[in-house]
Amino acid sequence: MNETAGPEAAGGTPVLRARGLHKHYGKDAGLVRAVDGVDLDVDAGETVAVTGPSGCGKSTLLHLLGGLDRASAGEIWLAGRRVDQLGERALARLRREAVGFVFQAFHLMDELTAVENVELPGLLAGQSPRAARRRAAGLLERVGLADRAGFLPSALSGGQRQRVAIARALVADPLVILADEPTGNLDSEATLDVLRLFDSLHAAGQTLVIVTHDARIAATADRLISMRDGAFVDQTRLTGGTTGSLGTLAGLEG
Amino acid sequence: MGKLVLTGRLAGRDIRRHPAQAILLLLAITAATAVLTLGLALHGVTSHPYQQTRAATNGPDVVAYLPVLHGPGVRSGPPAEAAVLTRASGVTVHSGPYPVVSALLRAHGLVAGAEVQGRTGTPAAVDQPKLTAGSWIRPDGVVIERTFAEALGVGVGDRVTLNGRALTVAGIAVTAAEAPYPNLCYAGAGVCLSGLPSQGTVPLSPGLAWVTEADARALAPSAAPPSYVLNLRLADPAQAQAFAAQHGTGGAGPSTVLAWPAIASGEGLLVQDEQQVLSPGALLAALLAVASVAVLAGGRMAEHTRRTGLLKAVGGTPALVAAVLLAENLLLALAAAAAGLAAGWLAAPLITGPGASLVGSPGAPSLTVPIAAEVVAVAVAVALAATLAPAIRAASTSTVSALADQGRPPRRRAGLIAISRLLPVPLLFGLRLVARRPRRALLGAASITVTAAGVVAVLAFHVIVDRSGPVATSGLSNPVVIRDEQMLTVLTVVLVTLTVLNAICATWTTVLDTRAASALARALGATPRQVSAGIAAGQVIPAVPGALLGVPLGIGLYAAASSSGRVVIPPAWWLAAAVLGTLLAAAALAAIPAWLGTRRPAAEILQAEAV
Amino acid sequence: MQQEVVLAMLAKEPSHGYELRARLQQALGPAGDAMNAGQIYVTLGRLEKAGLVTCEQAAGLPDRPDRKVYALTADGQQRVTEWVTDVSWPGPGLAEFHLKLIAAAAARLADPLAIIDAQRRELLRSLRDTQRAAMAEPPGSDAALLLEGIVLRLQADLRWLEACERKWTGRKDRS
Repeated sequence: MNETAGPEAAGGTPVLRARGLHKHYGKDAGLVRAVDGVDLDVDAGETVAVTGPSGCGKSTLLHLLGGLDRASAGEIWLAGRRVDQLGERALARLRREAVGFVFQAFHLMDELTAVENVELPGLLAGQSPRAARRRAAGLLERVGLADRAGFLPSALSGGQRQRVAIARALVADPLVILADEPTGNLDSEATLDVLRLFDSLHAAGQTLVIVTHDARIAATADRLISMRDGAFVDQTRLTGGTTGSLGTLAGLEG
Repeated sequence: MGKLVLTGRLAGRDIRRHPAQAILLLLAITAATAVLTLGLALHGVTSHPYQQTRAATNGPDVVAYLPVLHGPGVRSGPPAEAAVLTRASGVTVHSGPYPVVSALLRAHGLVAGAEVQGRTGTPAAVDQPKLTAGSWIRPDGVVIERTFAEALGVGVGDRVTLNGRALTVAGIAVTAAEAPYPNLCYAGAGVCLSGLPSQGTVPLSPGLAWVTEADARALAPSAAPPSYVLNLRLADPAQAQAFAAQHGTGGAGPSTVLAWPAIASGEGLLVQDEQQVLSPGALLAALLAVASVAVLAGGRMAEHTRRTGLLKAVGGTPALVAAVLLAENLLLALAAAAAGLAAGWLAAPLITGPGASLVGSPGAPSLTVPIAAEVVAVAVAVALAATLAPAIRAASTSTVSALADQGRPPRRRAGLIAISRLLPVPLLFGLRLVARRPRRALLGAASITVTAAGVVAVLAFHVIVDRSGPVATSGLSNPVVIRDEQMLTVLTVVLVTLTVLNAICATWTTVLDTRAASALARALGATPRQVSAGIAAGQVIPAVPGALLGVPLGIGLYAAASSSGRVVIPPAWWLAAAVLGTLLAAAALAAIPAWLGTRRPAAEILQAEAV
Repeated sequence: MQQEVVLAMLAKEPSHGYELRARLQQALGPAGDAMNAGQIYVTLGRLEKAGLVTCEQAAGLPDRPDRKVYALTADGQQRVTEWVTDVSWPGPGLAEFHLKLIAAAAARLADPLAIIDAQRRELLRSLRDTQRAAMAEPPGSDAALLLEGIVLRLQADLRWLEACERKWTGRKDRS
């Protein structure tokens, strides 16, 4: 493994930690190793990007980390607590309180307005309707969509829908946000909007783990992990400047 | 030809790919056709058996019950009236007058009343009872009417006592001259002339028996001479009613004269109740089956539309797709019709078994071609109906939108969504589920209404049956009650089965439909229990008004179906239990498939589908 | 023809002029059709003059460029090594990087995968800087448009590098 790791974050336990994660499907000739021995540490406030070709298992890894699927083997700790052995109810609580998910397909409920979509996790967690609504409105403002709170998803652009989904993921003030190809269905302008949002979240100290094809997101992450065939093959921090200037890149000589 | 083969192949493959659905559909239609078959088969039974018995026993056109005058100075023997009647105009043949004595019969520890006729050894010209077992009367031997014998549980060779006198059962027979037990006295007060024998103060409904004339006279207590019965044949049987009116107590004479239709109706009473129960029962069953089919068809709508799009994109026509769907449904419907016919035919003997005075094989009401044709036609109609809606929809959808279709997008109901926010999580889900698919919720409510109506109607029937209990003799089984209870049991079982089927269909379709939404809810932090409770709530919420509506409907249904047209209201706590029971059952039936649906990891589902 | 490319072609071993040409043509395929023989020999001449390459005449063969044997000098070797590790991106020209990989593999100058990896990281850094500049721009500014163009090209190049990585991994596994 080609690791150019930076210094360990001061202040102890990583927010998210995985050791020896495996996920298999099928058996014998049909055995598929979706995740094949992954170790991961994510520190508080870090943005980690996981890239790799399709089918390399990065989405599966994210699902394992978020408790949406069970690992075949391995251990996962969230804020120092072991979470891979939890029952369904405890996992559900985890998802309510500690983990926020963002999906490639947005997965907003079509018949609910933006604010109703965002308040849903709050209602599920047992908040009073008024408190949930207030928080939802606040979050929509945070992502810059306060004026679209009463719109249905069908009336929103792709980028706006994803921002609503991100607002929804923020409801519980989660320890970590797990994003699975968040810009996969977006054009470049919408991607920029989402990138800006991720950037501002990062600046506010939110921990992000993003699985992505998109080199733009990968480039702006603190740490970039390459994955192939279910395993990590490379971890990089993109430190330092570039040899060429923007001008050179733009085709200007000199 | 190639298209036919293609259609067949596609249909077969589709059935194999969705076996659960195919089985559900099959079961729903089978149950309905079975009940339909039963109803139709039994319908024929009542009109024929009496005629058969009449033909086999040389049944009379008119029966006269001649009272005996008590008191001193009266000669014993048949009254003069007998001679008058035998010589009346229109009478061709007669038999009797036979002495009739009222006696207390004891057999196997049971006590019953018996109307005992004295007969001769020679076969009578009119009304010679036909033996179904044993032999005809002999000294110290008694022949018992068949229904009576079954109620008593006696067979040939058993010992019984009549008024204390020991006799052996010589044979079992049927007759067309009297209505079978326990309806012997049905036709009127004068029929059981000798006074009903009683156990204490409770009159014992009598049954019919025959002994030798000598034995009959010996049985009569000296203070109460026997009365007499006279069987007459008329030149014109159609004049029987007129003759009876003319010569009976209503007319010129002192005797009670009955025409054969009055006796026949007493005979028919045994199966009449079934008719009352079966016809509405069949209707309810059919409604439930149709509801199940509609739910299943609706659930497949989205997939069907998509498949149409696919086939259209490769050059098929909507007609082809509709043909495939029709082939599927027809195949299932025909199979179900065959199964239903077989089931109904096999079940019919259980219903008409003991009691109806049928000659020969009772209650194998023959499976006539018209009945089979009707049942098959109904099944085909159901198949057509189930094909029509999806086919029209698919044909009217453009190919592009059909291919992109993820099913009908859920409609937004802002009011319900706003209300649901205030409710606890399972009800929040349930209400939003109802809001998403209001038509399915309506269908679910309708099914529950039908079931509740059926259960309430059954309860009303029970009330009647319980009230009419005292007619039963002590210890003897009242065949009417028995058969009524059998009928009710069958009907209840059928209704319950169909309801269970219906609930499973509805829930299963809902689970499939909400798979993505449930997975999302779980991803956002809902526990599997909350999600399955939510889906169950989605079924129960429309069921509440449905069940409540079923109560008055059931009462009305019973009133409409019963011959008396009485409005019977079962006790309140029975009704409450019925409603609560239905709701609980709906919740349970919904919760189980719902919970099973949450076992699949959310990740899989979210990858595959959009919400 | 880039001087460094020709130098790199000689890194493995000295070769005749015509061998060089053949190797280049094989590496470039149809993209090399427009290349004419003269360009190579002109470059070789310049390299010789700069002292990076020596030229020998095989005994008994006519005095023609394609029959001469060329070899790297020590200076030339050093130049090649520098070139291999240089990550400045050669603008729209993909051929140079492509040849770099081939030459590096043939002469065992460096692991092609390492070259690709280093270049990838460099491009990602560029992408990061460009992206940050783009986010800092007010939306709809003209500069933002230019920056988006740079971003898109960098993305395209990165995708090509991924493809290179896949192919060269396969080649490595097979060899």
